[in-house]
Order: sequence, then C-alpha cells, then structure tokens
Amino acid sequence: MTSSRLRTAFLALGLALGVIGIVVPLLYRPRAAAYIPLDVTLGWSFVFAGWLAWARRPDNRTGMLMMLTGLVWFGRYLDWWWRPLPNLLGAFAVVLTLALVAHQFVVFPYGRARTRLERFLVGAAYGLAVGGFALTRLFYEPEIRPGCGTCQPNLVLVDKNQRVLAFLGDTITVLSLALAAAILSRLLWRWWKATPPARRALTPIVCAAPPVALVVTINLVQGSFGGLFSPARYSLMEWSTLVYTLIPLAFLAGLLRTRLHRTALAELVVELSRAPLPDQVRDSLARALGDPSLQVGYRTAGLPGWIDADGREFALPVESETRAFTVLEQDGDPVAALVYDASLLDDAAFVDAAVAAARLALENARLQAELRAQLVAVRASRARIVAAGDAERRRLERDLHDGAQQRLLGMRLALQLARGRAKEDEELAQLLADVDHELDGTLDELRALARGIHPAVLTEEGLGPALETLCRRSTVPISLEALPRARLPAHVEAAAYFVTSEALANVAKHARASRASVAVRENNGRVVVDVTDDGVGGADPAGNGLVGLRDRVESLSGNLLVESPLGQGTHLHAELPCA
Amino acid sequence: LLEAEGFDVVGEAADGAEALRQVRALRPAVVLLDVLLPDLDGFKVADLLARETDEPLVVLTSSREAGDYRSRLAVSSAHGFLAKPDLSGSALTELIERR
Repeated sequence: MTSSRLRTAFLALGLALGVIGIVVPLLYRPRAAAYIPLDVTLGWSFVFAGWLAWARRPDNRTGMLMMLTGLVWFGRYLDWWWRPLPNLLGAFAVVLTLALVAHQFVVFPYGRARTRLERFLVGAAYGLAVGGFALTRLFYEPEIRPGCGTCQPNLVLVDKNQRVLAFLGDTITVLSLALAAAILSRLLWRWWKATPPARRALTPIVCAAPPVALVVTINLVQGSFGGLFSPARYSLMEWSTLVYTLIPLAFLAGLLRTRLHRTALAELVVELSRAPLPDQVRDSLARALGDPSLQVGYRTAGLPGWIDADGREFALPVESETRAFTVLEQDGDPVAALVYDASLLDDAAFVDAAVAAARLALENARLQAELRAQLVAVRASRARIVAAGDAERRRLERDLHDGAQQRLLGMRLALQLARGRAKEDEELAQLLADVDHELDGTLDELRALARGIHPAVLTEEGLGPALETLCRRSTVPISLEALPRARLPAHVEAAAYFVTSEALANVAKHARASRASVAVRENNGRVVVDVTDDGVGGADPAGNGLVGLRDRVESLSGNLLVESPLGQGTHLHAELPCA
Repeated sequence: LLEAEGFDVVGEAADGAEALRQVRALRPAVVLLDVLLPDLDGFKVADLLARETDEPLVVLTSSREAGDYRSRLAVSSAHGFLAKPDLSGSALTELIERR
C-alpha cells in the first residue's frame, strides 16, 4: 500500500473510531458518557494533526507516529465491548498511547532515533509501558459492580495481592517520572544547543512540554502512593485531557515551521534574477533556507580544492548530525557546494529546489570566485617577487661591502704607505696623490651604490635610523616629523624606506622645493608614510618611479596616493598593512 | 701603515677565536677589531675581550659607517669605532687619547 493510501486509511479509521467512541457510550450509558467528547477530541487531534503532517512531509515519520497514537488512543473504547479480553486490550491501549507520546518527544522532529541515548529512551518508554502493564495485571483484580459493563474480570490475574500491586504501582510511577524527567531535560538540552532551523522546529514542543509534564506527573502520582490527591482526581482528569491535546498541535506546528515555504523560493528566484554578487547569492540562499549558517563553496578548474566567494581555500565538512552539504554538478563535474544545517535534510526536496533555482547565480558566483582566487594568487606571487628582489638587494649590498670595497680599502692603505715612502720624489708623490684621490672617489661611489641598493643601516638598525640617515643626506632640508619606534617586519620596513627614498629623490630632482617633510607613523596595524614638499607640483603619477613604488606598495596590499597640483607642492601618502 | 705612524704591531689574527688567543698571549694595549669576522661578530669579540683581566682598549672598524651600527655601538664595550675609509694612525691615536 502506498503511503498516501495508508494515510487515507488511517484517517478513515480514526474518524470512524471517534464516531463510535461518541455514539456507543451515548446509546448505552448516557450519564457515563460525559467525559467522552474530550477523549475523542484528543484522539482526533492526534489523527488530524498527524494526517496533515504526514501529507505535508511524507518523508518524515512524525506524521505517521501521530496518527498511530490517535488510533491506539481510540483503542481504549474496546472496554465498551463488555467482555474481559477487549477490556484488557483497552486498558493496554491507554498505556501504549503514553509510550507513543514519549517516543515522539524523543525523536521529534527527525521522526527516528538517531543516537544511542535516543534509542535507549524510546526503548525504555515501551519497555516500561509493556512490562509495567503486564506485571501489574498479574495482581490486579477490578471491582465488579452489578450492572457495570466496563467492569470486567481480569483475564490474566494470578494472585489478588494489594501489597504487591501497591509496590509495583509505586515503582512504575517512580520509573515513569524519572523517564519523563530524562526526556524533558534531553528535549530542553537539544533546544538549547540547536541551530536556528532546528530550534524553530523544537520551540512549540518545548513550550508545550512543561504543562504536559506537570499533568503527567500529577496523574502518575495520583494513581500511586496510596492515592494522594484522589479527591481531586476526576476534575483533574477532565482538564488534563485538554492539556494532552496540546501535544499533537505542538508537533504539527513544529513540523510545519521547518517546512520552507514556496514564497521563500519565489523570493529567492526574484533576488537571484538581479545578478547579485557572490556574497549576496549566499545571503539570499541563507534567507530562503532559513539557515544563517549556510556556506557556499566553489570548485574551479585551476585549483585542486574548494574556494569561498573571496577566492580563499574552503574545506567541505564531514557529513554529520549537525552539518550537511549538497554538491551542484555540471556535466558530471562539481561546480559548487552548499553546506548547511543538517536539520534542513528533513526537507531535502526544498533544498534541491533552492539549489536548482540558484544554479545560474551560483555558476556566475563561481566565475567571480575563480577570478578572486586568481587575484589572491597573483597578489601572493607579486609579494614573493618583491621579497625575493629585496633579499637579492641585501645580498648585493653585502657582496659589494665585503668584496670590492674591502679590496679597495686594502689598496688605499697600501697606497698611503707608498705615499709615505715616496715623499722625496715629488713627481711620484703627486701621481700617488692623484691615484689616492681617484680611489677615494671610487670608494664614495661604491658606498653610495651599495646604500642605494639596500642600506646596511636599514637591515642593522631598522626604519627609523635608516630614514634619519636618508634625510640627513638629502640636498633639500627635510623635517622628520614622526618615525616608528619599534622594528617592523623587514618587508614593511623596506617598502616604507624605498617609498620615502624615491619620494625624496624626486623632491631633489624635479620638485624645485625649498623644504620637505617626512612622517612615518604606525596606525591600527598599518604603517602610514607621508612625504610633502613645497615645490612646483605636477608630478606624473604614471612616471616610472611612481609606478614602481605603487607596484611595491600594492604587492603588500597597501595603497599609494600622490597629490601634485601644479604650483602647490607634492604630497605622497602610502599605507602599508603591517602584518 | 700603523707601524709607519709609530704603532708597534705585536700580532695579527684572521678571525675572532684567534684574536682572543693572541690577546691572551700577547697582552696588547690596543686591539683594532673588524666588525665583520669569519667566525664571531666583532661586537661579540669586543664583549669577550672586555671580560679579560687587564683588558685591552678595543677599537672597532668596518667598511660600513658608524651610523649603520649606532644602537649596537651605544651598548658595546668597545672603546670606539673607526670607519675604514677614515682609518689612519693619527685617527686611531686621537681616539685612544680621548680615553
């Protein structure tokens, strides 16, 4: 039988049983039938709510469990048969109903037990119901009043023993209370730890649980411990049935809240039709699926793994109780993956529909993510190239110092010795003096060259002393307004130094300035360089020097700004991330 | 060069370790020490020499400029620094006499 036929059959059976439950007592004992409508209402609310839930969510077993609960509840009317066996079965139906309700509290909204604890709780509920009922019936002898059709002899009575019966009753009550407390705390714990979509489903149940738990406790305790509260028993029974009616309604509400609406899908399609940015695609999908934790990953041709919308590496999670994902494929190749809260799997069809609706936007977003990934890679390689260049400059400077310069200095010492010995020969002395002069010039040029390649003071002493030296050497008077006190990462120091040095070289060469100022400050993890002069302005931002500087600054994800209006001086402003 | 300007050069060393050995053996009054040595750093050697009893006066020298080492020179136990282009007997004498 298909699930929809079974559902219809259950509904018809439930309707019929309810009608019988009203009609039969009315026919036979109109006065005793006073409480019947409430009982029927309870059964029907389970049957109808279950039918609705089952129809809306055929893949979820909650609806079927609810219908079963309603049908079993109607089984209590079997005692109107006025025979011993139906009487026994009717009494058992009431107990079984309680176990079914407990079962649903444990497994909602998934419809099945997913952990060992949940399986244990469900097993304990049925075990307690069946075992407890079977045991008590062995010692229970009902009072048989003349003319009472529902007072039937107990078929399975072994020994009429009030003491054993009272002991069994109290034990079962304590165990049932413990089980109810365990189920309630587990429910509250799940609700507390739940992700937003799962919490949405659980909230109605959590709201209904306290009154239900209270009524269950009172009813359990009443029947036990020497009949505590017994004078109030029947009036309590009356409204406790009403409270139980909350259960199927809460289950239905919770289940329908997890169901995502067609309107959400329609809104998604409209939003995605506006050609959104990759992040907006994610936001739209998160809204439609009601899951703020939704993540989107993309697969690109050039890279082995997944990337996110910003082009950074993205790891797909392991499928678990909390996270699940759907992979979108094109021609058999994965192109995008949606990672979401596992509770959305309850409505997998909707997730598939949303993914299908977003296919084009996701494909578009994937291309953009691919571009960003390439940009990230290019930035990284540019930074590596600049770093390698800096290392090479440091090596060149060291080689010049330790090699050629040392040899020339040695020559100079020897030359000075020779000059000391050639004092008598004037011509030779003059010749040696000329050579010495030339050698001095060569040494100066070599030092300037080495300093220009990579000043030793920058490596040894850091940015502050290096800039002080640089400014001291400048031909234009320079006021140093701020310098960083602490050492910074070598690549940042090098970039800040060369920006300043190139800017000051331009001031000296082109600006015709009478003075300039340099300020290097550390600000919120960024190094900010400002070089200002009072020269003629009109610097060409596309000039070789400035383009080279911009490349260097941007390789560190920094930015460079040059303002140089004609006749109003030049202001160079560079910001470098200090990471 | 130094001998020509009146200095008595008692020993020469090719690296830091040898310099330490020679100083212990020869007990010179002045040690002219290159910053860049094959084994130890000149600053390190100067610190080690400062711990010797009857320690010599250490003058550091380098093909680089004093400014390139300013923070290390400020805390060094060396007596002074002469850049190699400025190195001469008279410059050394002047530095020693400033003691």
